Amino acid sequence: MTQANPVINPLERTHTRLIGAHMPTSGGIQKSLISGKEIGCTVVQLFTGSPRQWSHPELTEETVQLFRATHAETGIQELIAHDSYLINLAAPDPAVMNRSRGAFRSELDRASRLGISWVVTHMGAHLNQGEDEAVQRLIESLKLILDETDALGWTAGIALETTAGQGTGLGWKFEQLGTILKGVGDHPRLGVCMDTCHVFVAGNDIRDAVTFNHTIEEFDKLVGLKYLKVIHANDSVKGLGSRVDRHAHIGEGTIGFEAFRLISTDPRLLHVPIIVETPDAETMHAVNVGKLARMASGIIGVQLQLHGSYSDLTPDSTVCLELPCGSTLVELVDAAISAYPKLEGIRSHCRFAIKDTVIDTDTLLQEGDVVALLPPSSGG
Amino acid sequence: MAFVNIQETPLEIDLLEKRVAIPVNGAVLSFIGQVRNNSRNREVAYLEYQVYRPLALKEMLRIAEEAESKWGCTVAMVHRVGRIELGEASVAIAVGSPHRAEGFDACRFCIDTLKETVPIWKREFCPDGSYWIEGEDAIPTSE
Ligand SMILES: [Zn+2]
Ligand SMILES: [Zn+2]
Repeated sequence: MTQANPVINPLERTHTRLIGAHMPTSGGIQKSLISGKEIGCTVVQLFTGSPRQWSHPELTEETVQLFRATHAETGIQELIAHDSYLINLAAPDPAVMNRSRGAFRSELDRASRLGISWVVTHMGAHLNQGEDEAVQRLIESLKLILDETDALGWTAGIALETTAGQGTGLGWKFEQLGTILKGVGDHPRLGVCMDTCHVFVAGNDIRDAVTFNHTIEEFDKLVGLKYLKVIHANDSVKGLGSRVDRHAHIGEGTIGFEAFRLISTDPRLLHVPIIVETPDAETMHAVNVGKLARMASGIIGVQLQLHGSYSDLTPDSTVCLELPCGSTLVELVDAAISAYPKLEGIRSHCRFAIKDTVIDTDTLLQEGDVVALLPPSSGG
Repeated sequence: MAFVNIQETPLEIDLLEKRVAIPVNGAVLSFIGQVRNNSRNREVAYLEYQVYRPLALKEMLRIAEEAESKWGCTVAMVHRVGRIELGEASVAIAVGSPHRAEGFDACRFCIDTLKETVPIWKREFCPDGSYWIEGEDAIPTSE
């Protein structure tokens, strides 16, 4: 995936949704906020420690102050942390369990001191030593940690993330997530994070309005929408039900744009911040955050690919344009001509195609469409 | 089975004819379009072809298959794109058929329809500049 050319005449963003990304922390944790702000995030997710290590250097008061000051400066509205990958709050081995609980307490400590609202955690793994017992151990861990940290006055909550169903990981079935929440009992610091890639590869379709609605209703019935505190918006490399977790750029994987348009505009989910955790953070987070912000505002981004003599009439032979959702080819042609009056001729004697299909003027366009303009042919 | 392709390398007419010279066919004929040194009273130095590949391949296959079912023949059709020098082939169509009459008709249908519908565009490079050819029009390249 290459970065697209800049959009000509961008439309105004009117949404109020919190949209952001998991930002890198190299050079200091406060750097995640600065680079997040730069690419248009209104919410940022970060690792407060190294995600592949058990112990972290002490979070000094100096670091906390710098982070909080940067937070205030950037105006990022909400902060989310993701815990270390090593933590298993359902571990069968008592030593690993102890270590995990200690490490997770420390995650909550750091998050609370930094003003982070939720720590997203995967629900651990049963490692083939009894799934039901693992669920019970996880419930015990959560109860214990919530009680202890309540007593300490810590503010950061725990958001249990829906998982992909890889290996022996817990929590890929909505029923099981529901059982865990019920087991712990209602708690203001207990919530859920829904990851679109994980939900999809775990077998829940979300690719169109009907399947998306069904999945959200199932989630509400079995887990409870009231628990939903964070959404991870990731497209998927692998297919529906594959139980393999590999994230793809928004709209470029097996899920496709429509699910992300639905998730960013569904009235039931509007209060839930959206985070992208897609590959190539340095170059592509800006693009993916931009796509979601556009969709949340009811705008689609499309490209017009010019051929023949028309390819010489614009600075780039591919023109990126924004249109209101629901626009057809007619609106695309109008927008292109208003951006580049020299293109007037495309109205009368050209054909248009998306991929290998010629389209009509009343064809409804979608986010990500690449429309090819085909002047009269001269092959042979 | 129809064969179509779009390539940047020189066309190999022999290979194309071999594809259609199957034992049921009594006639094998081919059409070759080559780059001419003049066009619309202008001297031409060389050509460049641009293609919209996804639709071009699909459309070439549609044309070849229509010819095969209409005339009971076998069609192989290749277009070259990119820069092509004078005297080099830009398009080649080989048709194998039980009898010659169907072969000629099918071949003519293929080249006529290809010129009309396959999204490929020719740019003529002349001593006074270059021209895009679109249908009947020659459009001077704006620099
Ligand atoms: Zn996630
Ligand atoms: Zn994942």
